[in-house]
Parts: sequence; structure tokens; C-alpha cells
Amino acid sequence: MLRSERSTLRRFLALYAFLTLALVLVASVLYYRSEERIMLLRRKAQVADYAADQIKRLRRLHEHFPRERTYPRDPRFRSAIYDLEHVQIFSTMRNNVVDFRRDIYRHDGVIHFVKLLDSYYLGAKYLFIEIPDDRAWFWTTLGKTALGAGVALFLLALAGLYLARLFLSPMRRSIELLDRFIKDTTHELNTPLTTILANVEGLDSAGLDARQRKKLERIDLAARTVSTLYDDLKYVTLESERPARDSDIDLTELLKERLLFFETMFRARNLELHTNLHPTVMHADRRLIARLVDNLLSNAAKYNRRGGSIEVTLRPGELSIRDSGRGIPPEVLREIFDRYARFDESEGGFGLGLDIVRRIAERYGLEISLDSEPGKGTEVKVLWKDAES
Amino acid sequence: MKRVVFSLLILIGLGMALSAQTSIFDRNCVSCHRREGVSLRRTFMNALLIYSGEQNMKAGLKYFLRHPSKETSVMGEEYFRTHRLKAPTTLTDSELDAALDTYWQRYKVIGNLR
Ligand code: HEC
Repeated sequence: MLRSERSTLRRFLALYAFLTLALVLVASVLYYRSEERIMLLRRKAQVADYAADQIKRLRRLHEHFPRERTYPRDPRFRSAIYDLEHVQIFSTMRNNVVDFRRDIYRHDGVIHFVKLLDSYYLGAKYLFIEIPDDRAWFWTTLGKTALGAGVALFLLALAGLYLARLFLSPMRRSIELLDRFIKDTTHELNTPLTTILANVEGLDSAGLDARQRKKLERIDLAARTVSTLYDDLKYVTLESERPARDSDIDLTELLKERLLFFETMFRARNLELHTNLHPTVMHADRRLIARLVDNLLSNAAKYNRRGGSIEVTLRPGELSIRDSGRGIPPEVLREIFDRYARFDESEGGFGLGLDIVRRIAERYGLEISLDSEPGKGTEVKVLWKDAES
Repeated sequence: MKRVVFSLLILIGLGMALSAQTSIFDRNCVSCHRREGVSLRRTFMNALLIYSGEQNMKAGLKYFLRHPSKETSVMGEEYFRTHRLKAPTTLTDSELDAALDTYWQRYKVIGNLR
């Protein structure tokens, strides 16, 4: 999946997940509240009987006060009386945080039922009946709510996945189309390209005059450029699925060979080449590492200025290619490894190069560091853990 | 000097204790209610039944004692078939407040339940 595709998907999914969570949360709270309401209503009938009993006893106490002073108690519940000014007259309740505005509510492990008295026996306007909160109810309801929320989340996640697919399919289709087109084209390129290269090499340049030789060199250069491009395309479309054939490769020798291949291109652009190659061995597929090196060298040449320089340094664990080009603006640096992204529209190409570099680097756990200073040039470093060092 | 101050303090204390004993409540309300045979405990419990809270009760009774009427009385219709309505109080505002404070303090239910 492409990075741009991925970030679109991520953004979409984040938004979707947020909305889904909010929705499920609200629904859960509403469900829980209504369940609580139903439970309280059920308890209310029972507690109203308790309240009626208690009021009868309060009335008797009111008539016999102060000869009789003992507040009536009942093993089935606890209670409290408050006067019109919300001052507590007496309480046997465990939890004395009371709410005068509601008729029944749960609070901190107890249920309070509030009954307003018609005659204020003992001055009491409010009678609170307290019964212990049913913990079992709480847990089963919480369980039911969580289960419902879980199922809803799961279904919504499925729907989200489906939507995301739907959302991405036009994008995916166009990329697939491009891939198929390149695959077909690549296949057709092979034969003519080999013919040109073989014939240019077969020509005897010694027998030509200076102008003819120059023209031949240009043909050679153009053919090699197309050949690199062909190799890239082949890698991307056909070969990336091929199992790698890893072996110990002599990087020094490989670099020398690739530099020779690019010699014509460097010369055509008047580039000065500095090399500092220490003997280095790496365990990898030779063709893949050649693709990686080719792409880095080709970029260093393409985005260089005329008469600039290229510096290639190789030592165990590090390959550095530094050019003296115009550099890469920082905002482009981030997406530079994306397939089909070219960081400079002024040069031709399919923008495959750095994507290939990235893929090969990922395959072998190589670290790529890009260090660019606009106007001065770019240094690409490939770093790996060398077995010897 | 010390002895003078000491005996003065004792005198003041005695005086305060005496005046508390024979407060405006005892002098005015209790004596008349005893004469009339109307239990102040009964009137208190009746008033509590209607007024509930302390401030509400004091304000309500204050108004009633100044402007007695059968309609606003806490004694009920039954009572007035056999009894007369009381006369408006002659106490000043602050005396009435003090008397009602004592009344509440002595007869209240809050703090007297077990
Ligand atoms: C002159 C006699 C008299 C005095 C003084 C008096 N009362 Fe009464 N009081 C009565 C009688 C008689 C009743 C019953 C008839 C009635 O309610 O009018 C009564 C009724 C009451 C009631 C019932 C109120 C109601 O709504 O019916 C209260 C309470 C009361 N007295 C408190 C007091 C207090 C407190 C004082 C002192 C400030 C006081 N009384 C002074 C004679 C008196």
C-alpha cells in the first residue's frame, strides 16, 4: 500500500473510530440510565410501603413526645427525617449525603427514596428511606451494557472496514492499472533494448571520426539510461516477487563495475568523480544491491549541476554517495521514498528509483539516511551492520 | 481589690442565672398559659406539625401572636368550639423574639430523640 493511500485510510479510520466510539458511548450511557430507571421504579413500590409504615410510627411518636423519645427503627431499612429548612432532625442512615430534589436515586452503595410528609410529624417534612444498593444488579447491567457496546463496536468496525475498502477502491484501481501498463510495456522493451546495446558495443569506434564517435557515444548513453530504467521497471514489476539469491558479494568490485557503467553518463554531464573504496563484503543478492547502487548513482548524476562532482565512499558498514546538486527542499524529503513521486519535475523518469532503494533497503535491514542542503548538494548514506566490525 | 472583683463576678453570675430563670418567656407566656390551662407542649407540637422548620415556625408564630385568628391558628376548629381566641401580644419585637427563642430551645425535637 502506498504511503499517501495509507495516510488517507488512517485519517478516515481515525474519524470513523472517533464517531463510532462517541456514538456507542452515548448509547451505552442511555441504556444504562434507562436500566437504572427501571430498577429504581421496581424498588420504589417496595420502598413506598416502608415509608408508609415509618410515617405511622412517626405519628405515634409525635403524639407521645417527649415521654417517648426513641426514633422508630426497622430491620428492613434505615431512615432519616429532615425539616422544611433541610435541617436534619434524626437519622439512622449510613450515607447522609441527601438530595431533596429527586424522589429516588442511587448514591455510593445505597438507594435513597424520598417521601414528602403531608403533616410534619416531629417537624419532619422529608422522610428518607435508605436501602443497600443491589451490587449484583450493577454488575449484570454493566456486563450487559459492555456486551452490547462490544457487539455494536464489532459490527461498526466491520462496516468501517467495508467503507474504507469502498473508499479506497478507485485509488487502488488506478494504481493497479498503472502497474499493469508498466508490466506490459516492460516486457515489450526487452528485445529492442538488448539489440541496440549489443549493436552499439559491436561497432568499431576506432574507425570513426571525432564527430561520428561523439554521436555514437550519445546513442550509447541514451541506451544505457533506458537500460537502467528497464532494470528498475523489471525489478518493480516482475522481479520483486522472485526469491532473492543471497551470497557474499564484493561491494568494491560491484561499485567499480557500476561506476564504469555510468562513466558515459558522468562524462556527458561533465561530472568529476571521486572515489574512496575500501574492501567491503556484504551478504545479499547481487542484482538487488546493483539496483540500489544504480539508482543512487543515477540520481546523483541526474540532479547534479553541470561540471559538478560526485563523491563515492565505501567502507565496511557504510556507503556514501554525495553530489553537488541543488539539494532537496525539506518538505519534499518526507515523501521522497514514495513510489511514483519525483522530487524534481524537471527531470524525466517514472519516479521509481527511491522507492526501489527503500524496498531493497527494507529487505536487508539497511538504514538509509538523506542529508540535503539546498544549493549545496545531497548526501545519501546506506548504513548496515557489518559482520566484521 | 481581688476580693471585690471576685464577689462582683459572682453577683453578676447570680443575676444572670436568676434572669434566665425568670425570662420573658416564663414571665409572659408560661404564666398566662398556666392560667388558661393551655399546654405549651401541646401548642408547640401542633405548631411543629404546620411550620416544620425553626425559622419558619418562629416567623409564623410571631405573626400569629401579633394577629391571632382562628383561620391561621394551629389549634384546629375543634379547639375553638370550646375555647376563645387569645388576645394579641403586648410584647415588643425584641421581647417576642427572645421569648420565641427560649420556646424553641426548650421544646424542640432536634437533639432530643434517641
Ligand atoms: C394572655 C394569655 C396568653 C399569653 C400572654 C400568651 N398566650 Fe399563647 N395562647 C393563649 C391562649 C388562650 C391560646 C389558645 C387560643 C389561641 O390559640 O388563640 C394560646 C395559643 C398559643 C399558641 C398556639 C398558636 C396557634 O397558632 O393557635 C402558641 C404557639 C402560643 N400560644 C405561644 C405563646 C408564646 C410563645 C407566648 C409568649 C410570647 C404566649 N403564647 C403568650 C394565651 C396566651
